[in-house]
Amino acid sequence: MKHLQQLLAMVVLVLTLSAPTLAGQGGRTPQPSIPVAKGEQCVEDKSDMRRNHMDYLKHHRDETMHRGIRTEKYSLKACLECHVPVEDSMATSAGNDEGHFCINCHVYAGVTLDCFECHATKPESTAQFHPLVTPGSGIMQDVGRANTAELLNNLVKNSEDNAGVAHE
Amino acid sequence: MSNQQQPDLARREFIGRGTALAATGVVLAPGVVLYGVAQAKPADEAVSSKNRWGMLVDTSKCSSDCNDCVTACNKEQGLGNETHSREGQRTQYIRKVELHHKATEVTHSLPVMCQHCWSPPCVDVCPTGASFKRADGIVLVDRHICIGCRFCMMACPYKARSFVHETLTDQKPHNPRGKGCVEACNLCVHRVDEGREPACVEACAANGSNAIIFGDLNDPNSDIAQRVKKYASSEIRADLGLNTGVRYQGI
Amino acid sequence: MKTTKFLEIGSGKGYYGLLIMLGVFILAGLSSFFFMEHNGHWVTGMDNQIVWGAPHVFAIFLIVAASGALNVASIGTVFNKQIYQPLGRLSALLAVALLIGGLTVLVLDLGRPDRLIIAMTHYNFKSIFAWNIILYNGFIALVGVYIWTMLDPNPAVKRFYKVAGFTAFVWRLILTTGTGSIFGWLLARQAYDAAILAPMFIVMSFSFGLAVFMLVMMATYNLTDRPLGDAVVRRLKNLLGVFIAGVLYFVMVYHLTNLYATKLHGVEAFILRDGGIFTQVFWIGQIIIGSLLPLGLLFCRLTRHSRFWIAVASALVIFGGFAQLYVLLIGGQAYPLVLFPGYEVSSGFADGVINSYSPSLPELVLGFSGIAVAIAMTVVGMRVLRFTPVSLADEVVDPHHSK
Repeated sequence: MKHLQQLLAMVVLVLTLSAPTLAGQGGRTPQPSIPVAKGEQCVEDKSDMRRNHMDYLKHHRDETMHRGIRTEKYSLKACLECHVPVEDSMATSAGNDEGHFCINCHVYAGVTLDCFECHATKPESTAQFHPLVTPGSGIMQDVGRANTAELLNNLVKNSEDNAGVAHE
Repeated sequence: MSNQQQPDLARREFIGRGTALAATGVVLAPGVVLYGVAQAKPADEAVSSKNRWGMLVDTSKCSSDCNDCVTACNKEQGLGNETHSREGQRTQYIRKVELHHKATEVTHSLPVMCQHCWSPPCVDVCPTGASFKRADGIVLVDRHICIGCRFCMMACPYKARSFVHETLTDQKPHNPRGKGCVEACNLCVHRVDEGREPACVEACAANGSNAIIFGDLNDPNSDIAQRVKKYASSEIRADLGLNTGVRYQGI
Repeated sequence: MKTTKFLEIGSGKGYYGLLIMLGVFILAGLSSFFFMEHNGHWVTGMDNQIVWGAPHVFAIFLIVAASGALNVASIGTVFNKQIYQPLGRLSALLAVALLIGGLTVLVLDLGRPDRLIIAMTHYNFKSIFAWNIILYNGFIALVGVYIWTMLDPNPAVKRFYKVAGFTAFVWRLILTTGTGSIFGWLLARQAYDAAILAPMFIVMSFSFGLAVFMLVMMATYNLTDRPLGDAVVRRLKNLLGVFIAGVLYFVMVYHLTNLYATKLHGVEAFILRDGGIFTQVFWIGQIIIGSLLPLGLLFCRLTRHSRFWIAVASALVIFGGFAQLYVLLIGGQAYPLVLFPGYEVSSGFADGVINSYSPSLPELVLGFSGIAVAIAMTVVGMRVLRFTPVSLADEVVDPHHSK
């Protein structure tokens, strides 16, 4: 009788422990849905990123914030360029999304994600317009700034001249 | 004996230097030279105190009915997306202030924003060091370590800082902002690091007023450095001795 | 030297009833904290002009009273006044409880209270706020050691009684200087930027702390039916009177000095005459009800021997303390920053206008819950450990009592 009880306990234990494996992919264990990212590969190995992305991000944020270093590798803004393509329009941030790369995995793993309290969840879609006169230019003594459209046209003309390209 | 007019040295220097500059840049119009992004600091280089970014506001060129700097800033930094906050709880980085002197009756109009002091009181009082001054003089809030105590808001003589009173969405990627942290004008640091000007300066130039100019106060060749050397300019609350990066002419 | 006998207070319906009532306040405070933190501060009355509101008034009162509540113990230990020594344990317990209550309110009002660990690990040592965090934690630790030297009968521990008492005494003086300097070192604002605020806060702590201690002591002995002699009450009430007068003195010096400076006439006229609610709270709340009336009650022949009126006077001092902090904190922020002296200013960001503030319910509930936390800690402490003497009757405690 005692042996039978022990055997039964053993069977129950083994079944419980192997339940996830038995359940299999389409079974009762939920899996996170990770949206596929743009591009060929991430800046680091997948397994490396899984373990260390928080440290990379944290170190880089301090570099950017305090020292003005704005390299793209490990920049959160740059991560989002690939991992959250702009075509998915998600208006909300801070954990309400269903299809966001970072948020999905964090919700699944149960790890609080603080970044998107402040950071935009998706990259900006519009290209940035660069003005034509940089700061610190030396000799602007009382010279009025010319019309920007005119300047832009001049710039295009000049660079086309330099490149030997025909004007449109 | 000479009854010749003294040659206009300023013009001569201008032309001389302009020609030299044209060699490094592209002349777009008389006196306007494009340097392009070659002048911007490289992305992997740290900022240093060899630069000191500042602004100069000529209040005589600033008119009471113009709010272009404020509008441009709000658009650039993604402000104004609060849905629940009262008027007094909404963030403002820059504002237009109308002055009327009680004794002399003179009036002025000018924009006020974070003055980017060299000895910022907000940096002194921040318990965690979230409010800090970058090496190149831009005063920023590191919102990763800001605990939202608002002591810097108490300390700022210019009321430059705002507190975010609600959950925000749709932030600009270059200006992360969120509930519970303090924020202020950051001199469009994302633009400055790329070699561009702050949005308010650009807007003021675009509408022809040119009341605000931006530049490197440490660069003796910059427009702003030459102007503050030549013409009198003052700081708001100069009595506090904060050595602000934003200076004003005409008040 | 007499040995005082200490005993825990009894439990029963009154004890649990009180705890349940306090628990209700504490739960309400917690829910208002969740409400404020989840929604953001837009639900409060605070904005970008009045950045510190009702929670800070409560918090600063509790913190200031905390360091003052330790006074009674310090007089007994450091200055060797025998009649105060039996009161030392309760005084120290109350000090810690009040401080924790105040810190609770302060921390729960932060914009990012989840970053408290960051606040405790990243320090900007030029910030008086950062020093205050260190001072508050140190106070709790030091008073904890002080209490241990008082409670533990082991002679090896008792040896450190004097040292612990002296250290705690000096530490709380530094702490209150730090609290006053939070305002005194704000150079930008007209109502602050005064070195006198630091010593003024010290005298305020004496006054508020003693008033709170007296109320707690009288209530405890009344509700537990233990004897409380007139000698103790008389000594403490005279001391309270001296402290109230001290606060009045500092307030007078502060305002007279400000009135002498032409550049400060604006803010002084605001507080003393034109400020509407602030002027009323200053004159009626702080000066008349909070200082002159209690002084009268404590020394007037008709009322000075009555326990009831002494308790009323203590309560009025506490009310006056809140009024004083309201005028200082809120009034100081209501008066606009003067960026351009001599000019009238207007803008889209409330320049040049008197800012208005009305506290919202969540803020007030949070504030009261801080008081509830303090009282609850004191009551539970007295129940669990021997903080309260069995008897404070004259024969037992008064060294000059004639048999």
